[in-house]
Amino acid sequence: MTAARTLTSPQMAALRQILQRYRGQGGAYLLPCLHEAQAVTGWLDADTCTEISRALNVPLVQVHEVIEFYTLFYNEPVGRRIVRVCDDPPCFLAGSSEIVRACARQLGVDEKGGTSSDGRVTLEIHPCLGRCEQAPFLMIDDDAHGHVQPAQIPDLLGEGA
Amino acid sequence: MPPNEIWITIDGQALKVPPGITILEAARLAGVEIPTLCYHPSLTANAVCRLCVVEWRGSRTLVAACAGTVRPNAVILTNSRRVRTARRTILEMLAASVDLSDAPDLQALLAEYGGDPNRFGEDAARRTFDGVKADNPFYVRDYDKCVLCWRCVQVCADDVQHTYALGFNGRGFHTEIATFFDAPMPDTTCVFCGNCVGVCPTGALKGKREYLWGG
Amino acid sequence: MSYQPVLTARVGVVDPASLKDYEAHGGFRALRHAIAIGPDAVIDLVTQAHVLGRGGAAFPAGIKWKAVNEEHGPKFVVANADESEPGTFKDRVIMEGDPFSLVEGVIIASYAALAEKAYIYIRGEYPQAIACVQQAIAACYAAGYLGENILGAGFNLQVEIRKGAGAYICGEETALFESIEGKRGFPRLKPPFPTQSGLFGRPTLINNVETLINALPLVLYGPDWYRQFGPSDSPGPKLYCLSGRVRHPGLVEAPMGTPLSELIYEYGGGVTGSGELGGVLLGGAAGAFISPEMIDVFMDFATLREIDAALGSGVVMVFDTSADIKGVLKRIAHFFAHESCGKCFPCQLGTQRQVEIIDRLAADRLRPGDLALLREVGQTMTDASICGLGQTAAGAIRTALDRFGYEASTGEFYTFQR
Repeated sequence: MTAARTLTSPQMAALRQILQRYRGQGGAYLLPCLHEAQAVTGWLDADTCTEISRALNVPLVQVHEVIEFYTLFYNEPVGRRIVRVCDDPPCFLAGSSEIVRACARQLGVDEKGGTSSDGRVTLEIHPCLGRCEQAPFLMIDDDAHGHVQPAQIPDLLGEGA
Repeated sequence: MPPNEIWITIDGQALKVPPGITILEAARLAGVEIPTLCYHPSLTANAVCRLCVVEWRGSRTLVAACAGTVRPNAVILTNSRRVRTARRTILEMLAASVDLSDAPDLQALLAEYGGDPNRFGEDAARRTFDGVKADNPFYVRDYDKCVLCWRCVQVCADDVQHTYALGFNGRGFHTEIATFFDAPMPDTTCVFCGNCVGVCPTGALKGKREYLWGG
Repeated sequence: MSYQPVLTARVGVVDPASLKDYEAHGGFRALRHAIAIGPDAVIDLVTQAHVLGRGGAAFPAGIKWKAVNEEHGPKFVVANADESEPGTFKDRVIMEGDPFSLVEGVIIASYAALAEKAYIYIRGEYPQAIACVQQAIAACYAAGYLGENILGAGFNLQVEIRKGAGAYICGEETALFESIEGKRGFPRLKPPFPTQSGLFGRPTLINNVETLINALPLVLYGPDWYRQFGPSDSPGPKLYCLSGRVRHPGLVEAPMGTPLSELIYEYGGGVTGSGELGGVLLGGAAGAFISPEMIDVFMDFATLREIDAALGSGVVMVFDTSADIKGVLKRIAHFFAHESCGKCFPCQLGTQRQVEIIDRLAADRLRPGDLALLREVGQTMTDASICGLGQTAAGAIRTALDRFGYEASTGEFYTFQR
């Protein structure tokens, strides 16, 4: 069991609105609901999942196993921002290993990925992000960064960014 | 009116069978035994283990006998070299990943197919867990022995009990049978019906008495 | 290279957010024409043109369209925009640059199949594409291209976007249905096929983005026009995704059957790095490597199948002789292990065993028997897996070992000099 957490009251209010909208809609709206809930809460804890399960009328274990299956859903704390670096062949040929190294160094995490100790940023090595013509490529949350150079990483991921 | 019998050929033997039966059933009519693992006569055939695959002339890939149904003039080989290679390799990979000590049928099958799990090396990744989960008075879960046949999940869900206590963690090689946020069984929707223990083919789920005193 | 693009003609020309701009550049002419000739005539066009599915499987689209059209009761159209095959970015370029064309393609397919509900399933890693298509859908509702009684033709259509959540397997059509239904993306057993029992157990027409937008010029200009491009068994315009060590990586629209050498040297501007071609990966991670002697091959489904390669999603990933081919193979092996759904044993176990052996190969620590073992694991995945993921998970590695002259005693690939 992951540790209990407390949502802020604006988060609670936003979550309630989402659940209200999806109430009784069933499994066909599970993925949209999870996406929206996670956009508010950052990651999906057991209490939030329980509420989603009740609202949609979907078994608890289904909510859990779906989050476990899809890499963009999190049931553990993650950084407030997520940087996804593509390391598949076209990006690899264009030097993605250097990008991964620069990100890991900047955040003080392993080159396989991880969350900075201040909880600010999570680094993920992500499967092909479909921007092969802009290799090497990374995303910071929803923002695309193509033809990225190792020297840009401190600016992209630094404290002020 | 569909014909009430069709001709098929299994391992060179021509026979008439009712249309719509599975390859597995047709093989039994022909007196041919096909090995199975995930298949259970009372449950939906999901064909996940692929041990029952056979060669069907004209098909690009092998076909699972438990789920594939016969069609007129099908020519099926249940024990060709291609079939045996697939079965042997699946068994070897399984034995290299999972503790099969409580699955004598699978061990016998591995021997019958001449499988050698050590080919993958001693450092091949295994699915191991921190001990046995004994969180309730009725049964234990020893997931080192779980082959992911899905039977327990099926009986817990739509095939029998509609309890939905069991599901999955992770995916790929790192798939595990799990509860909601890995909660102990008494904190889940489990009603301790015992169906999952009854259908487990490899001793991953055991009654507590059996686990404590053997047998 | 005298070919005039049609599928991508509007990309980079129109404002992707403007319906007016889209209409000013020929947008919705195809839909109006489709409505004028009726659903059956539209299906005849798709059948006569012999449109093959552009997602990778090359299934004749006309057969699907007709099968769903003939079913009764509620049915669905699904646009597969879960583009996740490594090296593939064509659908993203369309959705970001000309999103209305996808929506128009979906409307035409739904009109032809007599479906009143459609889904566009876009991978979650494409936020810009999702925003563009969402915006286009909203504009289409406002303008009467979606909703009730479309263009006064008495036909209704609701379209919803579904955002994927990070799972390559959901590009497999039945796994995609499971995902829309709110489940893990486990592929289903086939039969039944989607045209009989697909999304929510109902007849479903599912096509890739590129396949759907093929319908637009086809409806306007007809099958004879369409079949002038490429060979008769594999015709039409085609999107190729050029990446890797070429001077100009990017999306290329050219006729089906364009020689690979033309794509690399004329469209792509030639090989970078050492300047000498080492090999090409066609079709993505699920495809096959080919060696430099093979680059005059014609890039169409049938020709590539004949040489044990695949057009797949149109990936042309170029490697020069100095490329770290072992590093590439390692990434391909890890990709499949990461993306295996875990449902069937051959793929669930085989992708892991394949990773272990390829990691040893990449570290020059292969053991005696490893290559034979790799071959058996690969053959078992190819032969016995439930879906295309497992069935193709060994192809790239097998073809690299066969075609790049891997020498176990030295641990070197002959074709790659490093």
